[in-house]
Amino acid sequence: MKKCLVILTGLVWLTGCQEENYEPVQIEPEIDVCEICNMSIAHENFATEVISKENDVYKFDDLGCMMEFLEEDYISEEEIAKKYVRDVSSGEWTELENAYYSYHEDFWTPMANGVVTFKSKEAAEEYEQGAGEVYDYEKLLKHPWSWKQ
Amino acid sequence: MRKKSTKYLKPSLLLIGLLAFMLWGMEGTAFAKKTTILSDTNLQETINRANAGDTIFLEKGLYQGAITINKPLAISGEEGAIVAGDGKGNVITITANDVTLTNLTIQNSGEDHEDSGVYLDKVENVNISANNLVSVHNGIYLNMGKNNEIANNIISSNEGHFSKRGNGIHIFKGEGHTVHDNTIKEVQDGIYFDFAGKVDVAENVIRDSRYGMHFMFSENISAIENTVSGNITGLMVMDSARLDFRKNLIHHQFHFRGFGVLIYDSQNIILSGNEITQNSVGISFEKARDTEVSRNIIAANQVGLEFRHDNQKNLFYENNFIANIVSSTIGKEELHLDNGVKGNYWDDYSSHDITGDGIGELPYKAGSLYDNLLKVQPLWQFYFESPAMQMWSKAESMFPSMGTVDVYDNKPLIKPVKLAANEQEAREGSGILTLLLGFFFIGISFFTIVKGRSYI
Repeated sequence: MKKCLVILTGLVWLTGCQEENYEPVQIEPEIDVCEICNMSIAHENFATEVISKENDVYKFDDLGCMMEFLEEDYISEEEIAKKYVRDVSSGEWTELENAYYSYHEDFWTPMANGVVTFKSKEAAEEYEQGAGEVYDYEKLLKHPWSWKQ
Repeated sequence: MRKKSTKYLKPSLLLIGLLAFMLWGMEGTAFAKKTTILSDTNLQETINRANAGDTIFLEKGLYQGAITINKPLAISGEEGAIVAGDGKGNVITITANDVTLTNLTIQNSGEDHEDSGVYLDKVENVNISANNLVSVHNGIYLNMGKNNEIANNIISSNEGHFSKRGNGIHIFKGEGHTVHDNTIKEVQDGIYFDFAGKVDVAENVIRDSRYGMHFMFSENISAIENTVSGNITGLMVMDSARLDFRKNLIHHQFHFRGFGVLIYDSQNIILSGNEITQNSVGISFEKARDTEVSRNIIAANQVGLEFRHDNQKNLFYENNFIANIVSSTIGKEELHLDNGVKGNYWDDYSSHDITGDGIGELPYKAGSLYDNLLKVQPLWQFYFESPAMQMWSKAESMFPSMGTVDVYDNKPLIKPVKLAANEQEAREGSGILTLLLGFFFIGISFFTIVKGRSYI
């Protein structure tokens, strides 16, 4: 009986937990398609995610699509809990605001936006022998995305 | 296609002649030597020793090691001649113009983004034909370059999920290529057009991959008589312009997020004489402009035609919509599904032709209340074709005031359009044929319903 109670409180605690910490959700390439452009998310390390406070997960195949989603106000800033991007080589999830980016028009990305994401500034600087322009979050917001033209 | 190759034969012959003349003057080597080699020969060394214009013939056997071809050579093989890479980088890299590669089995490339069976690096007039590419990341990668011909190859990628594979043929920039009679299966995207310009794509078979053909920022491409089946999406057209699709067979894209044809943010697209059958969605338009869709058979799809977001200046006429579970679902804007003179044949159109001109007197109204309900309550798909839903739809068609958005065909055709392919058959024995065809489509629709429902 006691055991049952422990498990039960454990479960309650677990579900309670899930609602608060908005962890990134794993990408399923067979199922997931980009919220904006309909492309299936085959290049997993280029995937990005927006998680709303209601725990709705919006997935994107390319950082550019997520930026379009955010700027075109598909949902309002107040409803958003977390925005995640991935390090291109390790696939590690990082928050949009904390990552570094390297841009060159010839860098390949699923939607040909040319902005590649990294967890560390060093990795961004070293990508493709430093061919790209390195951005932090502030600079990323000023990037001239192709869908803006 | 044949014409094109002879057109470029002359300058290449001239070039070879000129080179031979120069070499003759220097050391007096024979013109265009043919070397036959055995499988224990180092292929790269043979290439290094060869002169421009030589032919190297590979006898049956395994030739281990990645190679680079940096001069105009013709390399071909006996059946069973295998060139195998080292599981790193490309298997064959071509950096010279006028190279010919035929009858080889090419395998074992690396797994990085651009690693390929054959990598054409900024070259012209290269011919890759009748090769068999297996266990490669990308099959053939055309990095820029012009006027290359890719024909009669069989291409498949590594085993595993499509997200880990490369593309059958990847065309990055460049123009003037012809791609015909290839069989591409089990890759990520069959043919990926990446900022590509003018390409002729004909009579290829692409199956069991993610997208059959994937267009990104590409222009001036014509695709004729290709067969695209069993992929997630047949034709994925994104941010592209001036594409011409004729007489293609696009069928069995039954993935639950699959489309026969998806046109996204693109313009000046022609879809004519294609057969688009048994897909989750036949054709989907999202931000499409200036498209012309005519004389296609759009049959036995779960949804025949779908519009999302804003689509402008699109023309639809003389298409046959037959035995689709839902003929069309519509977006938010007004649309005309006829060209002012003729519309389309819709098998769920239920009015009559009183004047006898072959055109129904009442407009065909696309989309139903049911579609709109589905957007709010996707699970109501379960009640598809239930008596209640049928009654509801019927009531709605009788009292358009309940109406949704104005998407209609003002000139709906009473009889299916006779298309070139089945015109002859129709003349021979139309009565029995029609009956058989009827049974056939009933069969297909049962199959579709059963298959469709089993996904829920």
